[in-house]
Amino acid sequence: MDKELIPEFFTVSEITKILKNEIETSPNFTSIWVKGEIYNLTYHSSGHIYFTIKDEGALLSAVFFRYANKSMKFKLEEGMNVILFGGLTVFEKRGSYQMNVLQARPDGAGELQKRIEQLKKKLEAEGIFDSSAKKELPLLPKRIGVVTSPTGAAIRDILKVALRRYPNIEIILAPAIVQGDSAAATIAAAIEELNNPKWQIDIIIAGRGGGSFEDLMPFNEEAVVRAFYNSKVPIISAVGHQIDHPLSDDAADAAAPTPSAAAEIAVPLKSDLVDEINYHYTRIQGALLKKLNESKTGYQNLISKKIFRTPIDLINSKAMLLDDIQTRLISVMKTNISCKKERLLQIPDIYRLEKNLINTKQHLFQITIQGIEKMSPLNIMKRGYSIVEDSSGAVIKSVDNVKAGDKIEIRFNKGRASSTVNSVIKEE
Amino acid sequence: MEKQKKTPVKPSFEKALSELEKIAIRLEDGELGLDDSIKEFEKGIKLARICHEKLEEAERKIEILQKGDSPNEVKNKKVAVKPNTGEIEDDEELQGSLL
Repeated sequence: MDKELIPEFFTVSEITKILKNEIETSPNFTSIWVKGEIYNLTYHSSGHIYFTIKDEGALLSAVFFRYANKSMKFKLEEGMNVILFGGLTVFEKRGSYQMNVLQARPDGAGELQKRIEQLKKKLEAEGIFDSSAKKELPLLPKRIGVVTSPTGAAIRDILKVALRRYPNIEIILAPAIVQGDSAAATIAAAIEELNNPKWQIDIIIAGRGGGSFEDLMPFNEEAVVRAFYNSKVPIISAVGHQIDHPLSDDAADAAAPTPSAAAEIAVPLKSDLVDEINYHYTRIQGALLKKLNESKTGYQNLISKKIFRTPIDLINSKAMLLDDIQTRLISVMKTNISCKKERLLQIPDIYRLEKNLINTKQHLFQITIQGIEKMSPLNIMKRGYSIVEDSSGAVIKSVDNVKAGDKIEIRFNKGRASSTVNSVIKEE
Repeated sequence: MEKQKKTPVKPSFEKALSELEKIAIRLEDGELGLDDSIKEFEKGIKLARICHEKLEEAERKIEILQKGDSPNEVKNKKVAVKPNTGEIEDDEELQGSLL
């Protein structure tokens, strides 16, 4: 073969050596933290531990030599989530790379996160995080209850903020352990204690300063979350955190990202309240003053009217009216009286008239009597006329009413004659 | 002067403050007559005084609860606090929890 045609090549050993050198000296791979789940775990009799670390996408072989793992406080287990510290090495004989583990710690977060999620679901179903269960915070708490460590930064921050905002506030600290296995029980007990009416607590702040995920775990414990929920006194969860808030935040009536912030929420700024009271005080004072001025102006307008300036005018005008009425009354009365008088004077004429009338009537009467006397049948009979009556005394006015043989009476001026009709002769 | 009649229950701070605000609004409305205005004003003055009193009711004290001598007994202990740092003075003997 022509030497010039043969390309440059590495032997397997050469390339592996280059890779080994590259990887094992690069700062990118010599001191690293790797997170994953343990898989294919083998405890070798030599004391070395061999396993694979995996996640959803890849596998990484690992070896944990005896010299490194002998001081380890826990036992690695299959399926365990761990965080490993070490460096990558290349195993030339097998052409593989692996992690040389120098330190291992359980990746609590993964496990714990799962537990928290489960607890969250369970408590959610119970309604412990319902917003309807949340109590309103008092505007002016007289006494604040605090649940935290008496020696931590949290209580210092809370006291500092609270006293600055409200110098005469009262604070009762119920001490609790806020880290480690015993923490949850002491926190729950402290919250419960502050609910005792004898302490007269208006609002509780329970929490701690920021820390690692594990440090904040007590506030994810069921006992603590329930204690927050069960608190009859309004309670603020005050756990220092950046991203993941603890479950106590969801169960509390209010939540703050730090203890200082919780104190700001719980304790009002006294000067603000004083200002607010004074503001309203000024308002009512101003409004009343305005009202008084309005009434005064109205009064002045009223009394400046003529009637109030010279009230005698009112009397004078009434007096004039009275005079006027009096004059008119008198004149009317005078007219009335003279009228009556005039009529009274007419009365004698009437009398005279009536007298004449009577005389005339008397004269007429006499004439009538005379007439009547002339009309009397007796007077007529004096002149030779007679009246014929039938036997019953009725006057016979027609020849038709008599017949021969009838008894009749003939009345004369003075006396009568009883007769009998001899014959009847009718004339046309 | 005659002593004022004792009201059976003083209103809470919240109630007194909101009532005071309502009176301010009513008075500023100007619909009330002078007599009623004066009555409302007097009520408002009383409420403002109650509010101020409420603000002074707390008497600045910091206490820490401690386990008592008998089981389940909890006692309160007054402690001094440095206001600028919020640090509890002489806290060496304080117990870390009630349990």
